[in-house]
Amino acid sequence: MILKTKQLSKSFGGLKAINKVDFELPKNEIRGIIGPNGSGKSTFFNLVSGIYDSDPGSYIEFDGHDITFAPPHEIASYGLSRTFQLLRLYQDMTVIDNVMSGYHTRVPYKFFDAVIGRKKIWDQERAIKEEMMELLSFVGLADYAELNASELSGGQRRLLVLARAIAMKPKLLMLDEPAAGLSPVNVDNLMKIIMQLKEKYGLTLIIIEHILKVVMDTCNSVTVFDHGQKIAEGTPTQVKDDNAVIEAYLGKKMDDEEMRKALAV
Amino acid sequence: MEKFKSIIRDYPFIAFIIAFIILAFVPSVVFTDVYQSHLATLIFVNIVVAAGLNIVKGYCGQVTVGHVGLFAVGSYTAGTLFLYLGLGFWATLPIAIIVTAFFGVAMGIPSFRLEGPYLALATLGGGEAIRLFIENGNFFRSTFGISDIPTPSLMGYNFDSPDRYYFISMTIMIIAVYFSFSILRSGVGRAFMSIREDPICAAAAGINVKKYKILAFILSAMFAGAAGAVYAHMPPGYIHPNNYTVIEMVTFLAMVVLGGLGHIWGGIIGAIVITIVYDLTRPLYKYQLLIFGLTIVLTILFMPKGLGGFIDRYFLEKRFKKKTGTEKTT
Repeated sequence: MILKTKQLSKSFGGLKAINKVDFELPKNEIRGIIGPNGSGKSTFFNLVSGIYDSDPGSYIEFDGHDITFAPPHEIASYGLSRTFQLLRLYQDMTVIDNVMSGYHTRVPYKFFDAVIGRKKIWDQERAIKEEMMELLSFVGLADYAELNASELSGGQRRLLVLARAIAMKPKLLMLDEPAAGLSPVNVDNLMKIIMQLKEKYGLTLIIIEHILKVVMDTCNSVTVFDHGQKIAEGTPTQVKDDNAVIEAYLGKKMDDEEMRKALAV
Repeated sequence: MEKFKSIIRDYPFIAFIIAFIILAFVPSVVFTDVYQSHLATLIFVNIVVAAGLNIVKGYCGQVTVGHVGLFAVGSYTAGTLFLYLGLGFWATLPIAIIVTAFFGVAMGIPSFRLEGPYLALATLGGGEAIRLFIENGNFFRSTFGISDIPTPSLMGYNFDSPDRYYFISMTIMIIAVYFSFSILRSGVGRAFMSIREDPICAAAAGINVKKYKILAFILSAMFAGAAGAVYAHMPPGYIHPNNYTVIEMVTFLAMVVLGGLGHIWGGIIGAIVITIVYDLTRPLYKYQLLIFGLTIVLTILFMPKGLGGFIDRYFLEKRFKKKTGTEKTT
């Protein structure tokens, strides 16, 4: 198990955004997370990556480390990377700097070497830059490396955010709606790149996605959230036919007798 | 030429040594009177302060308006060390840098919880508090100022006139700029920039936001401390609390903004331009604040990335066109 949560809870005032979720994720799996808006998917991501503190009684374990109380940068240093629904691109930095800042946890030299500016540093910096340029050309942004990130189009921004998250060579990559707002052609292209990256780096993936086609096609297993609780888990086909899931999305299935009663009142 | 470029790339300090040699010949070749050397020293002091301010404000994005207070701490550490212990420049400079670094920590702690204009207000209070503390304390000679701070001497040679002190301030400036370049071009500079752009995302990418924020404050405080000590020992060796008011802070800010916030050359270009303009407009001293205020406003409106960003943009567009054959203008 690379990620494990026990009794994970988070409340904002009286609202229980996440309510006692037990979640387990084996290595090398692609897990989809679906659920209606406001069901706690993004909150779950924020809890796991340490951006929110979880409520007392929760337990989160990542790759053998207890990360319940760890700050985000420590969790990242264990090899957990994530993207954000609202991208959080570094707008005023160049594309290559964006990606290289994602490399931070792997930077090999110490601060004082950088202050003195030894030759070693510049060699290593160049090696990092080369590696990151390779990554950029892999996602197809190499030509734009020196432009500001704010000058990219919507689809390119999504690719850049993906490349930035990959740069730290994570063990687990959590993608928060990677394909939101993309056209169907771009979605297919993006999913292809994600699958290639998974193969290349041996990633474990968690994907929040509203486009069900993506989830059904690519994920090994799916977890469904509703009102902060996990209501179903299993393979895509199992989940698709699950009554609780259908109820959460479309409402309850009624037989004729029940329908008559409901309408009569 | 290519080979020379690659040597500079591997050993950047060679470029600084060349700059040092060129600058060493400037007084004897270019300058016509002593006042110009004095002005050059002022430019160098301002470059050191502005390079430090560029780290914390331009790169790390923490709006600090109390930087002049740190500059004052540097000056007065040097001044009081001379006054009570009779120490000379070579002892006061490192002590001033260390003491100012501690004040930098104090100035940086509010940045954990405050940001933007709120942090500006807190640091403004910090800077003014330091000045008022100096002005109202007999220990610091209050409004009399500290006078006759000696100029440094090295192996029997005394740097006692502006054209000799030029070499001291120039050396310190070269070293400071070298350090700021190597810090900002490494991963540390990138970490600062990510915090400026988005602290939450920076944290999720493995950057310890609090540590780097305080590091930025400490580094810039050390720059301000060094500049302050150089300023205090500058002939005629006189410091007064009125040299560290909000007006000076506005000029420092104007330097960084005009040069280009977050541009590696930003503080340096700005310091040169603003110090010269400041000197030329001395007869119009009533309107100086107006001029610098307008400079800040106009730069932000029409050249948000300052002179440095403006020049960069030009070359970038040229390169992009050459590479892809298409126009890219925004």
